[in-house]
Amino acid sequence: MVTIYINGKAVQAKEDEMVLTAIRREGINIPTLCNHDAIEPCGACRLCMVEITKKDWNGWKKHVTSCLYPVEPELMVSTHTPQVLELRRTILELYLARNPNSSVIQKLAEEHGITSTPYEIIPDGDNCIMCYACTRICDALGCHAISAVERGHEKVIAGPLNQPPIDCIGCLSCAHICPTNFIEWKDSDGRRSIWGREFELLTCKTCGKKTITRDFAEYLSKNRDLPMSYFETCDDCKRLDTAKTMGRLVVMAAEVAK
Amino acid sequence: MNYRFVVDPSLCTGCRTCELACAFSHSKNLKPGKSRIYPLSHAKDKYVPVTCLQCNDAACVKSCFFDALKRNEETGAIELNLGRCVKCRACVAACPFGCALIDDIHDEIVKCDLCKGDPACAHFCPTKALRYTRLPI
Repeated sequence: MVTIYINGKAVQAKEDEMVLTAIRREGINIPTLCNHDAIEPCGACRLCMVEITKKDWNGWKKHVTSCLYPVEPELMVSTHTPQVLELRRTILELYLARNPNSSVIQKLAEEHGITSTPYEIIPDGDNCIMCYACTRICDALGCHAISAVERGHEKVIAGPLNQPPIDCIGCLSCAHICPTNFIEWKDSDGRRSIWGREFELLTCKTCGKKTITRDFAEYLSKNRDLPMSYFETCDDCKRLDTAKTMGRLVVMAAEVAK
Repeated sequence: MNYRFVVDPSLCTGCRTCELACAFSHSKNLKPGKSRIYPLSHAKDKYVPVTCLQCNDAACVKSCFFDALKRNEETGAIELNLGRCVKCRACVAACPFGCALIDDIHDEIVKCDLCKGDPACAHFCPTKALRYTRLPI
């Protein structure tokens, strides 16, 4: 265990932990967009900036992304100094210029007292903040279907060569993890469309309810050693089957007891 | 893991008190959550309270790519860490007993966690069809 100081308070933290984890455990609210427990931190959104210093730094201070900074003994962290708040406001102003139509960004900016941005607004800017949460979750899944394509201001998240990704299995992990709800998907008529591709949804053989995509079920059965028969019925019908089986077992047990 | 959640369907009357107890003990933001236990009728006036069986080799744990589902060694329950869950619904589709559920109101995946070792449904069951008992060692 390591002792660090968060806003002057001594806090115990594990050795391999990041500063953000320790801050969150203390109940201090720091806004983040790209941080999620399921993926490795990458410091893309820059909103978790904090000020750090140490006793032997002779008054020198440094601003770091707390999600990427490992805890060190005797580290002094300040989460809400005027400079840190100013930094966060500047980052939000840049986001407002890039993603003017994103409700998530607008709400976050409003919480920090920002309603307008001094930077040039991209009028048709989309909601993507280039945090790579979607590509990181896709890599964690083992699919590696999407990544950043093109360079500079033309950079977008898409399949290889900006084509529909062939390795995508339509699991929607990227759409659910996206902090600004940028990734669009649609389920209709037993088909799911995402990233310009169409997937067949599995249909419950008893009630006809749609569950996950066939590609996802096949991926699970191949990589996680689950039989395909698990995916044939929906959860409601499986529950009813369980009740029927258990009911039969109770009747059999009663007959044996007689 | 000295305790077991015992379900005795022969005592169940289908009063659905367990569902209420579960939904209210898992309420969030003043809204009741989705019940993790379902008394389902398999024949006339015969009910089985279906809930997670906390399988040893659980399909939900196997299906989760992000280690969101983990067994709590103290209570024996497989618990869902919502911080790691990305709602891909692999566990819902994979559970062969249909006991991983989608809570539409709170937009999250839910499953029985044995209330961290003190199941509310067992407290409220009037006929003691649901019990949480110490195993004879």
